Amino acid sequence: MTVLAQAPVPRDVGVFEWLFDPQSWTGSDGILASLADTVVLCAIVMVVATVTMVPLASWLAHTRRGEVSVSWLVTLSRAIPTFAVAGLLVPISLRNGWGFEPWPIFIALLLLALPPIFLNTYTAIKQVDPGVVDAARAMGYSETNVLFRVELALATSVILDGVRVAAVTVVATEPIRAFLGGDGLGRYVRDGLGQNNDGLVVAGAILVAGLAGLTALSFRSIESVALPDGVRRLATTSTR
Amino acid sequence: MAGLLAQATNPIIRWEYFIDEWDQIQRALIEHLELTVYAVILGFVLSVGLSAVALRYRWSAGPINGFTAFLYTIPSVALFAILVPYFGLSRITAVVPLAAYTLLILVTNFVAGFNSVSPEVREAAAGMGMTPARRVLHVELPLAMPYIIAGLRIAVVSTVGLVTVAAIIGQGGLGRLILDGLRRTFWTPMTIGSLLSILLALALDGIILVAGRWATPWAQRQKSVL
Amino acid sequence: MSSNGHHSKGATEMAIRLDGVDKVFPGTERPAVSALSLEIPRGATVALIGPSGCGKTTTLRMINGLIAPTAGRIEVDGTDIATQPTVQLRRGIGYVIQEVGLFPHRTIAQNIGTVPKMLGWERDRIAERIDELVDLVGLDRDMLRRYPDELSGGQQQRVGVARALAADPPVLLMDEPFGAVDPIVRTRLQDELLELQARVGKTIVLVTHDIDEALKIADRIALLNVGGILEQYSSADELLAAPASGFVEAFVGDDRSVKRLQLKTVADLPFHQGPVLAATDGAVAARKVMQEYATDWIGVTSDDIFLGWVHADDILTDAPLASAPRAMPAAQVRRDSTLRSAMQIIMTSHTSVAVIDDGGQFGGVVTLELIRAGLEAVTD
Ligand SMILES: Nc1ncnc2c1ncn2[C@@H]1O[C@H](COP(=O)(O)OP(=O)(O)O)[C@@H](O)[C@H]1O
Ligand SMILES: [Mg+2]
Repeated sequence: MTVLAQAPVPRDVGVFEWLFDPQSWTGSDGILASLADTVVLCAIVMVVATVTMVPLASWLAHTRRGEVSVSWLVTLSRAIPTFAVAGLLVPISLRNGWGFEPWPIFIALLLLALPPIFLNTYTAIKQVDPGVVDAARAMGYSETNVLFRVELALATSVILDGVRVAAVTVVATEPIRAFLGGDGLGRYVRDGLGQNNDGLVVAGAILVAGLAGLTALSFRSIESVALPDGVRRLATTSTR
Repeated sequence: MAGLLAQATNPIIRWEYFIDEWDQIQRALIEHLELTVYAVILGFVLSVGLSAVALRYRWSAGPINGFTAFLYTIPSVALFAILVPYFGLSRITAVVPLAAYTLLILVTNFVAGFNSVSPEVREAAAGMGMTPARRVLHVELPLAMPYIIAGLRIAVVSTVGLVTVAAIIGQGGLGRLILDGLRRTFWTPMTIGSLLSILLALALDGIILVAGRWATPWAQRQKSVL
Repeated sequence: MSSNGHHSKGATEMAIRLDGVDKVFPGTERPAVSALSLEIPRGATVALIGPSGCGKTTTLRMINGLIAPTAGRIEVDGTDIATQPTVQLRRGIGYVIQEVGLFPHRTIAQNIGTVPKMLGWERDRIAERIDELVDLVGLDRDMLRRYPDELSGGQQQRVGVARALAADPPVLLMDEPFGAVDPIVRTRLQDELLELQARVGKTIVLVTHDIDEALKIADRIALLNVGGILEQYSSADELLAAPASGFVEAFVGDDRSVKRLQLKTVADLPFHQGPVLAATDGAVAARKVMQEYATDWIGVTSDDIFLGWVHADDILTDAPLASAPRAMPAAQVRRDSTLRSAMQIIMTSHTSVAVIDDGGQFGGVVTLELIRAGLEAVTD
């Protein structure tokens, strides 16, 4: 790990001793800074994935264009080898002068985030009762209104579910960045392993797992607060 | 800056490496395969048990699904790391998390597979005097097979991908080539490790696909009818 | 004549006996079957009939040991099934379940051969048996290699029947075996079942909700009401002639007499010679018979073959009837014609009498009067 920056952490630190030490949290190498690093990258990945996939999948499903093989996409989304993909991209990124970071990991994570969002949006809109859509058309809704006021409205909870799955996966995978020349919250596991410091390894694991758990929880609470009752009750058709 | 320049001119693949380091590549490939197979076998065995419980005691299906889904959302870096204090940088530390990640997909598919057997078919099998063991072996298992195979494919392919991550704890087969290349700013092993792990996943997927087709002739024919 | 008419026979003559059987499913209040007692003689075809949800399927499942009765006793072949290993019991019973339930992963041949294979028959014997059964139920042999979903509903049901018959079980339980097919195919399958039963002579319990199917196929009919209450257990004819309750009457419909006409055949009527004499008889005998019957026609037979009708004006005083000019009969029926078709033939031919053809020989005559009298008599 010679090329990688190392955090100035004492050897053989106790897990909780280190976690509860305010000094561990502050500073440019502190937990808060690493956390921000991770959260920003994940947030950008999620925004890009959502703003591309939701319109694309809605349009495909609304116009019934291109039969999408859903089961094939599910398989694919489970099978993307993020570490290998990022590993392939690092040399390419460097040769193009984009540096170690964050392009390779960004693209690898994006590949991970796209399928669940696409799939949930696509299947949710396809599953909207054709009778309801016809009724809307019969009442004089324009196609745009049909899509936005009926199909997307009814599909909201399922789409949000896809976004949640994508976000949890992205946050859970992002720590490999620390092993691919970057930092982020995974750095403490890396540093702990590099220094043969089990306490730091476990503390780093707790941080990483904690963020993933927090992400899952916050999506759950968003779903229960933000969605109208009638829509939430429709959330039984998630693809996972 | 001079360093970055050197990195930029370093070719992505240097073909002599294949010959010079063939031993190392081969070892990494075999280790990768071994870790994958051990993890999937362990995951498979555990999934058979969990699925049997979930199918036998319906109330347990929810908690079992919740548990496997929980395991699945634990970041791989964290799960590998958390076992280091107990098992060190050993194969167990790599295989246990890898197996844990297969549980969600395997149990889900096993349960779905057995639940897909229609009540009429079960009734007919029982009604003609098949023993319970025969019913499971000759009727339910073959009918669940397409689901089992589908689950196995995803489990194997995603495990091949995850094995590379186990390189962070000194295991990881082809993943080690990736990390090694990264450390030495030498792109050839990195590219080879990444490409080979993707190819390995595709190859194993193809093998299971073909084996599955062979094992479930009726399901293939149905697909072609649709 | 009564529904208990079979009690007098020995218990071993009964293939199946239900004695005060109750079934209450856990979590439900209303029994699915209540105090059901039935005796099904060996070789008989009994139809279980009643509205949807009246416990027909439940009864079959109890006979097959798939579910245990809450109370009461079920005997198959003289043994209480509760004392018998269920697997063994079921192997002696062919069961055609309501939804057919063919194994989708097995070819038609493998489906049919399931039980023989389980019983350890040799390959050749199984193959032979499969060919035999395929012919029996009227399927093409080139279907054997196909999978169930490549067959039509009617074909699948035949396979279901063949599969149930495979190991030659003495008892056959059939749960609405022709439910999934269109009326034309259903009629054909029913005819085939009748033919099959004439050849194989099983004890058959056939569940149906179609009264016409029950009347057509069964020797005896058990009519169940919701809650599994037995309303009547009797021959088809008695069910129509003497419904035991308002429920039975409503279930069989207002066209009971039409149905009975369809149910009975000319053979059910007592033999009636009619105004028919031998060709060697003379004018004196002829006049006497014509007077007796108040007709001016007389039939002539020779060696029990009906020759034709002779008009009173054509009978010469001193010659045998054989010499008189004859008209061929306008109305002729067979012994196995239903009373309904006999009636139609008589009415459309504008005569008052039809001659019965008993395999080429004179089998008496039938008139509208005789048909009416026959309907009034109940035969059990
Ligand atoms: N496994 C079961 N659990 C609870 N109730 C059942 C079960 N099977 C059947 N029943 C009930 O028993 C009654 C009789 O059902 P069934 O024998 O299937 O009727 P059918 O005469 O239409 O074949 C129905 O009211 C049905 O709902
Ligand atoms: Mg039924």
